Amino acid sequence: MQNLWKILLRYSNFLVFVILEVAAFLLLVHNNTAPRSAVTSTANQFVAWQYERCSEVADYFSLRSVNEQLAAENAELRSRLAVTEQQPEIQYTPAKVVQMTTDQPHNYLTIDRGARDGVQLGQGVRNEDGVVGIVRTVGQRYSVVIPIINTRTNLSCRFLKNDYIGTLQWDGKDSRFARLTDVASHMVVNTGDTIVTSGLSPVFPEGIPVGIVESSILKEGDSYHTIRVRLYTNFRRLKYVEVIGNSAQNEMEELHHGLD
Amino acid sequence: MDWIRQFGRYAIVMLLQVLLFNQLQLFGVCHPYIYVLCLLMMPLTLSQHADMVIGAAAGLVMDTFCNTLGVHTAACILIMFIRPYMVGTLVNDKDRLNEQLTSRTMGMEAMIKYVVIMVLIHHFTVFMLAAWSWAHIGFVLTETAVSSVLTIGIILGYNILTDK
Repeated sequence: MQNLWKILLRYSNFLVFVILEVAAFLLLVHNNTAPRSAVTSTANQFVAWQYERCSEVADYFSLRSVNEQLAAENAELRSRLAVTEQQPEIQYTPAKVVQMTTDQPHNYLTIDRGARDGVQLGQGVRNEDGVVGIVRTVGQRYSVVIPIINTRTNLSCRFLKNDYIGTLQWDGKDSRFARLTDVASHMVVNTGDTIVTSGLSPVFPEGIPVGIVESSILKEGDSYHTIRVRLYTNFRRLKYVEVIGNSAQNEMEELHHGLD
Repeated sequence: MDWIRQFGRYAIVMLLQVLLFNQLQLFGVCHPYIYVLCLLMMPLTLSQHADMVIGAAAGLVMDTFCNTLGVHTAACILIMFIRPYMVGTLVNDKDRLNEQLTSRTMGMEAMIKYVVIMVLIHHFTVFMLAAWSWAHIGFVLTETAVSSVLTIGIILGYNILTDK
């Protein structure tokens, strides 16, 4: 027993090193798979508050373009009003982007709405141009959103012209483009085809714009198209978004769980 | 007193890191993590256990700001673990090492070697863990090279400016 203690003491530096590293890796792996905690992410109040102050200063430099953006959004909203009235279960909560990255393989954005404002885990987020992402962590006043330009996101989409379903994924390189997979070779894909959300998952209602087909390659013998989609949402200039509250979402999720 | 100054510097460097350097978007390959400056220059007077715990704390704070829980934590623990061995091999005259590690206490040549090696290890670990796959190894190496050059330049520049 005494010898064991001696050995442990002698290698205690290395032991502490291993224990700490194991703890760090557990955090890392857990974070890669399950929703993270609001304390150790940018949904943390102090952290988000810092980013918010910083973005407030930066905002003064983009007032003009934000004005134009808001005017365009107003127009768009008015035209959308009619459609929304037919879907009374859907409410939009406006939110401001406090922090965002676009050049990492795993991008995230932080918005200034949290549990206090009715934001819930798994809700969809869009802006006036199209799909943005899905709420991943909810803090009291802030939330973290995992955008479609994150290599861990899969989004079910369909072609506007014929309702053919595909899956949108991001390759981690250019924030303006994504890939549409699972589109079988018999489908005719043209440049300029519009892609919208499928409405198959309860996260996004049907028909939110995603992007247009930039190019489509079908090699000899391939059974699926390689489709490059130009996204409608400009993530590099993202300032205002809307969280989609769908009162039918909980009910749909319960039904899905019932099937598993 | 010295530790209050160390912490004050850490607070300022973290502010610069988060508000300035994290916002850099140069072709997606330039992510300098200048906050390692504080860890690298910390005096070697504490036990190695304490050093590693401090490294873990600094990494955790950085992870919270970057939404990358565990990545910086693991990298910082690693560099805090190898730090004393690295200094031990690089520095012959160990009499002055009870102060913080600068070009004056370590010698210019040893300081440059020390900063270059440690920053490369730290940045490579961070980018590798963030990518979490060998598929992007080419990109990770480019990212490490470009970002490290900037971080090393800033740390050595800071060292020359402040250490008279």
